[in-house]
Amino acid sequence: MGRKLENALGILNGTIGDYLARTGNGLATPMTFVHDGAPMAVRRDVLARAYPDATSRVVVLLHGIMCTETVWTLPEGGDYGAFLARDFGLTPLYIRYNSGLAIADNGVAFADLLESLINEWPVPVEEILLLGFSMGGLVARSACHVASGERYHWLPRVRRAIYVGTPHLGAPLERAGRTLTKVLRAVGDPYARLVAEIGDLRSLGMKDLGDANLRHEDRAPGRAALALRDARHPVPLLPSIQHYLVAGSLAVHPQLAALFGDALVPLASGTNGLRASSGTLALPPGHVKVLADMGHMTLAHHPHVYAQIREWCEASR
Amino acid sequence: MSTVNKRWRGVAKLVTDAVEHGSRAVERIQKETAQRPFGILEMIPGVAVPARVVHVLHDVTVSGVHGAIRLVTRVVDGGVGVAFDLAESESHEDGSDPRRGEPTQSSS
Repeated sequence: MGRKLENALGILNGTIGDYLARTGNGLATPMTFVHDGAPMAVRRDVLARAYPDATSRVVVLLHGIMCTETVWTLPEGGDYGAFLARDFGLTPLYIRYNSGLAIADNGVAFADLLESLINEWPVPVEEILLLGFSMGGLVARSACHVASGERYHWLPRVRRAIYVGTPHLGAPLERAGRTLTKVLRAVGDPYARLVAEIGDLRSLGMKDLGDANLRHEDRAPGRAALALRDARHPVPLLPSIQHYLVAGSLAVHPQLAALFGDALVPLASGTNGLRASSGTLALPPGHVKVLADMGHMTLAHHPHVYAQIREWCEASR
Repeated sequence: MSTVNKRWRGVAKLVTDAVEHGSRAVERIQKETAQRPFGILEMIPGVAVPARVVHVLHDVTVSGVHGAIRLVTRVVDGGVGVAFDLAESESHEDGSDPRRGEPTQSSS
């Protein structure tokens, strides 16, 4: 019941979480670390009790939109965090957050949370590995962007970031939805306008996915209002971090695979443009992996994805 | 305030908000839809004046019905809030754990 309730709240937060937060509704999920399914305060005594074997290297896992940390759980048990603990001695820390908030707001909250973590963690933190699924990867990028411009002490401790099914160049489904609501509004019929208004109730977080807006200023009015193409992202991946990307592909035919990707994120977006333009490679090809026959949600809990994560972690030890 | 209480209050507030916004949207649509035939009738000499009267009556009735729906919803929401406050203060007086009934959460 508890897990189902939290999952239902995750969906609700992803859909209208910004409204819930704005109106002070108790259903809004604050960003917290979660241990054994319960929110955990970032206090040294609490952390020491929850993690008696805390290590100096941690992996922080961020779920995607409309999810909770349970999205990481493999059908046969375990998750990427637990496997990284087993194989590399990293202490896994799971984040739960309101995925309906603007990505920029969650980025700031995440940056603050990590700052508290390194101050309160029972042992000195030497390394933070960021692991984000879908929107979680964008929240991690947004937090890194915030931390690079201000005095945050955790950023130098991030050597590696792994993005799983993250729409680095945005999600065309959201852009299509945005176009549809614009068209419905333009029709002038009151019923069509009502449908458009209902469509526009979707959260800021969801809208941010359209163009992968990491900052509030990226959401400039009129920008790409009716565009279905990827926006070129104005916030680059930080060069001080080694970035690794996993993208999924459902189709076998290369062109279909590139177009539809994992059904929600096209390959060009999931690979940060690697597949779109080989002349502007942002990352070494070895840092990008496309896994065939893999739907979007499956990417968060699949042994093949972990095998790739493990390979990268071994190579960059 | 316990998480359970906060969430129940959240559910009540969300239902209130949904009825409030939904009622306003439906009211607007009903008026806009009626505007079309009334607009045509109001251009026909001889029918224009009674059509105008009926149009105004229609709009007033629609506003009244939706206003009543919103009013009742707000009253019920207020009552639910008071009930939550009473239940919470009673549980504090009893010395019972305000977090009782917290949803059981499983491990990730």
